[in-house]
Amino acid sequence: MIRFENVSKALGGRMVLDGVDFTIERGETFVIVGTSGAGKSVTLKHMVRLMTPDEGHVHVGDETVSDAAGHRLERLRERFGYLFQGGALLAWLSVLENVALPLREKTDLGESEIVRRAEDVLRRVGLERDGHKRPSEISGGMQKRAGLARAIVRQPEIVLYDEPTSGLDPVTSRTIDDLIENLRRDLGVTGVVVTHDLHSALAIGSRIAMLHGGKIVELAAPDRFIRSERPEVRAFLDSQYITRRGAWERSLSS
Amino acid sequence: MITREPEYFPPPAGLLGRMGRWAMLSCRETGRATLLLLKALVCLRHIFGRRARRETVVDMYAYGIRSLGVITIVAVFTGMVLALNTGIALRDFNQEANVGTAVMVSMLREMGPFMTGLILAACVGSAMAAQLGTMTVSEEVAALEIMSIDPVRFLVMPRLAAMAVMTPLLSFYTCIMGVMGGGVVANLLLSVSWPNYMDNALRFAKNKDLFVGMLKAVVFGILITTVACHEGFSASKGAVGVGLATRKAVIVSFLLILFFGLLITGLFYY
Repeated sequence: MIRFENVSKALGGRMVLDGVDFTIERGETFVIVGTSGAGKSVTLKHMVRLMTPDEGHVHVGDETVSDAAGHRLERLRERFGYLFQGGALLAWLSVLENVALPLREKTDLGESEIVRRAEDVLRRVGLERDGHKRPSEISGGMQKRAGLARAIVRQPEIVLYDEPTSGLDPVTSRTIDDLIENLRRDLGVTGVVVTHDLHSALAIGSRIAMLHGGKIVELAAPDRFIRSERPEVRAFLDSQYITRRGAWERSLSS
Repeated sequence: MITREPEYFPPPAGLLGRMGRWAMLSCRETGRATLLLLKALVCLRHIFGRRARRETVVDMYAYGIRSLGVITIVAVFTGMVLALNTGIALRDFNQEANVGTAVMVSMLREMGPFMTGLILAACVGSAMAAQLGTMTVSEEVAALEIMSIDPVRFLVMPRLAAMAVMTPLLSFYTCIMGVMGGGVVANLLLSVSWPNYMDNALRFAKNKDLFVGMLKAVVFGILITTVACHEGFSASKGAVGVGLATRKAVIVSFLLILFFGLLITGLFYY
């Protein structure tokens, strides 16, 4: 569904992506992990052409994103929902108005239908009682859930999640993980998750890719990922106290 | 696309290299700001949409009505200073009765739009640049683009329309307040009666002066909005970047107001 073809990108003279190749299948949750500055968010931004590769191409279905412009890019982007790290909610609109915004601006739906759909997705993310509040009046976790509601309100085929659980407490992180998993299971949404949080990655990922030094050094399903012999992967797993025989292995096998 | 990729430049070699880079970047920024303005003007065809109409009215209130206090004070004092300075000079020739003309013509042609432009650049332009800058660095503008919502249509067009309408209205108000302030000084310090002052002020003021003043105000309003929005969209590197964008928006607006003020005066009166 999404295909990176020998994509390279340099920022500030540093090679952030160096000939990256991978394919994301329809209906899977593809998780990209790596240390800070490894190029995870840069990879995500290439999928919606917020960034353009120096070399190579990014394809979504039969379309090439990396050279799309104008109405073609607009149509391509309508296939995506994007959850930004900070939620990226418009401060002067209420949570409900933020969620309803894509429907108001990009569809011909009537006002009552728009409100009904916005309330539906707010209920799905557990914010049905907070629709009237401004983004500044809700917590960081609630902002992320509101951002997620806005990302899915137009029922996109693909949702990109940029650090969906960073800075959140474990309970809220679990709620977000459940939401991502439910979207995949119930609606068949293809998800691409960028995260540092390996616990989350192992819980929701169909496959996990690790970016290191501008290259994908490991790409495997979670059960194989934690058994990887790659030193970069082992160091990353060890840093989060995940071992081959740790709790993760037991929970995955059960 | 409004959202830009981060840019990095190697350090330039020597003074000539730095000047060359400054010149090239200035040309590029001017081009980008001009394109932003043209795109916003094209988007004006959507001004009668429900959301755009509401946003424009809200912006007109925020930029116009909420600036009235400071504009009133500045306008009255500008008129007073003008009347006092010209009155003292005219008194040497026993011509202080003509102070009304001097104040009226100065306010209509130059001081009205100029003072309004400076106040709006400082109050409204800075706020606009800071708001859009904050939206840019917190990825709200990128979020709009991903939702296929055009940030120029959504954010710039209502602001441009509001400023293009409110700046000439405020400029006219500044002129009235300035003339009133000048009248107070003429009456109290120069012994020119109110009827004399007003008669003199109105007799020699021409429609052309009013027209040129209003034209300047419209141009200043458009310039302030374009510069503020462009600088806001160009902000990067968090809070520091927003601060720098705001500062630059005010400075560039001031310089453009001076330049275009001179240009329009030259075009119509030289």
